Amino acid sequence: MRVVIAEDNVLLSTGLELLLGRAGFQIAAVAQDADGFLAAVREHRPDVTIVDVRLPPTFRDEGIRAALQVRREHPGLPVLVLSQYVEQQYAAELLATAGGGVGYLLKDRVSRVDGFVDALRRVADGGSAMDPEVIAQLVQRAGDPLAALTPREREVLGLMAQGLDNTAIGARLVITDNAVHKHIGNIFAKLGLAVTDSGHRRVLAVLAYLNAAGR
Amino acid sequence: MRAARRGGVYLLGSLLSAVGTVLALPLLCVPRLARWWAAWHRGRARRLLDPASGARPTLRAAWADAATGRTAGALLWLPVHAVTGVAFGLPALLCVGNIVVALIATPLWWAFPFVERPRLFIDVPVTGWATALTLGPLQIVLLATLAFVAFPPVARAHARICVAVLARRAGEELAERVEVLTRTRADVLDAHGAELRRIERDLHDGTQARLVAIAMRLAVARQAFAESPRDEQFVEGLLRDAHEGTEEAMAELREVIRSVYPPILADRGLDGALTAVVTRCGVPTRLEIGEFERVPAAVEAVVYFAVAEALTNVAKHSGATAARVRVGRTADRLSVVVTDDGAGGADERRGTGLAGIRRRVLALDGAVDVDSPAGGPTTVTVELPCGW
Repeated sequence: MRVVIAEDNVLLSTGLELLLGRAGFQIAAVAQDADGFLAAVREHRPDVTIVDVRLPPTFRDEGIRAALQVRREHPGLPVLVLSQYVEQQYAAELLATAGGGVGYLLKDRVSRVDGFVDALRRVADGGSAMDPEVIAQLVQRAGDPLAALTPREREVLGLMAQGLDNTAIGARLVITDNAVHKHIGNIFAKLGLAVTDSGHRRVLAVLAYLNAAGR
Repeated sequence: MRAARRGGVYLLGSLLSAVGTVLALPLLCVPRLARWWAAWHRGRARRLLDPASGARPTLRAAWADAATGRTAGALLWLPVHAVTGVAFGLPALLCVGNIVVALIATPLWWAFPFVERPRLFIDVPVTGWATALTLGPLQIVLLATLAFVAFPPVARAHARICVAVLARRAGEELAERVEVLTRTRADVLDAHGAELRRIERDLHDGTQARLVAIAMRLAVARQAFAESPRDEQFVEGLLRDAHEGTEEAMAELREVIRSVYPPILADRGLDGALTAVVTRCGVPTRLEIGEFERVPAAVEAVVYFAVAEALTNVAKHSGATAARVRVGRTADRLSVVVTDDGAGGADERRGTGLAGIRRRVLALDGAVDVDSPAGGPTTVTVELPCGW
């Protein structure tokens, strides 16, 4: 699987190269800034891209803007955005682009190699990967409507919102696929949501629900 | 309604203090006491004339204020205040008092002995329900209308007289300004120092301590790795602890960074950062940002915190269904107003939210005003100098 990375910090980009190389990814290019990144994507047509939020020259939100630009130029091209901090606004902007294949994670998550590689694969396959912290903020804000859920159901809801599929949720919570299925059925019934398949659409539905509940 | 309430409170207060002035006249001939009493009244009058003119006048602040100033002016003002306080305040008292009389007399006139039946419209005794139910409400409505119409201008007139008598010469104004600036600058330096110490403590006790612990674990792990036979479980445990330690250190560092200068401000500027805060607020909030030049980073950070903190309070405590954030320029200051339609009754002494806002704002020589009567609404106003 070929990856294009936009990361100006050499320490971090070499770290990513090392980690992804060992996990069997092929690094097509490492760009230092947004323009270089856009050019590299046009040239290499990668399977997935990784973008740091802050890039030269101003180290503001160039990465987010570059990610949105890439999604406009190449609809559906998977983008995983990494950042030192999470901001719901950015998550919302990324999710607002058409199609699946978006991820938004704290850089901290990279150090949990397996989880990070899973998330990257998920994004590459058109799924989504939302940072647990973004979800935690949304869940906390949603408050009351979630009171009907059991603690386990809330856990499952959080993992669904992060973009995990049923198998991954089962593995994370050490429960069977069947149990996951039952929990999800209960959650959707209690929250009055229409059941959707386990892909990107489900993530969007859950996030939209959490967002609306927090209003 | 609010202006009438303010005016009424001001007039009744003036009446009370005029009577107090007469009673305490011998004491008030002591220069410092006279200046103190006058300074407090001047503050009160100024605030009535211009509610945005600064912090609520307190007797303590007035005492510090009275360290300097013109004694002759204050002594001249004492009799003026005794006369105007009564002349302006007594009608207000009569007005309010007769509303209270009507409120009691209308439903309860029968409870008074026959010869002492309450009187409405000064001299009409209430002897039956017919009189009570016509004259009572009529008296309440008339006097309330009078209060509504007359209290604000009468109160302002009294305040203008007070300010005029106590007006100071230009030199004195300047001297006072210099003194205020000296005092606030010292406060600002203190507050700034406290902020630096907090950041130092967070980094020193948190992140730095964690890095030391991680380095120690890695060092021991390396040693254990080189030993034979190698205790793999032991090494694995150390590496796991070190790994978890780095994650905790990153989380802490993120918190410290956010508390110094929120990254979203650096990314998107004040506009974008406030939009993000408003979007994630649980209560629907309208954001209005006026036209103004770029403000210093320190001011941006304080505005961000004040709005974030105020909206957290709105979402958590107010029970409001809507809120509004207005940021704009008033004269040479940036003003931030957060209003909600909630239950009010916010108390600065409880919780750390409002106190935190005040601490940060004072560190920049700004002013905070919290207006939150029981029953609402709550308005938090922050004003910050921006060097414009």
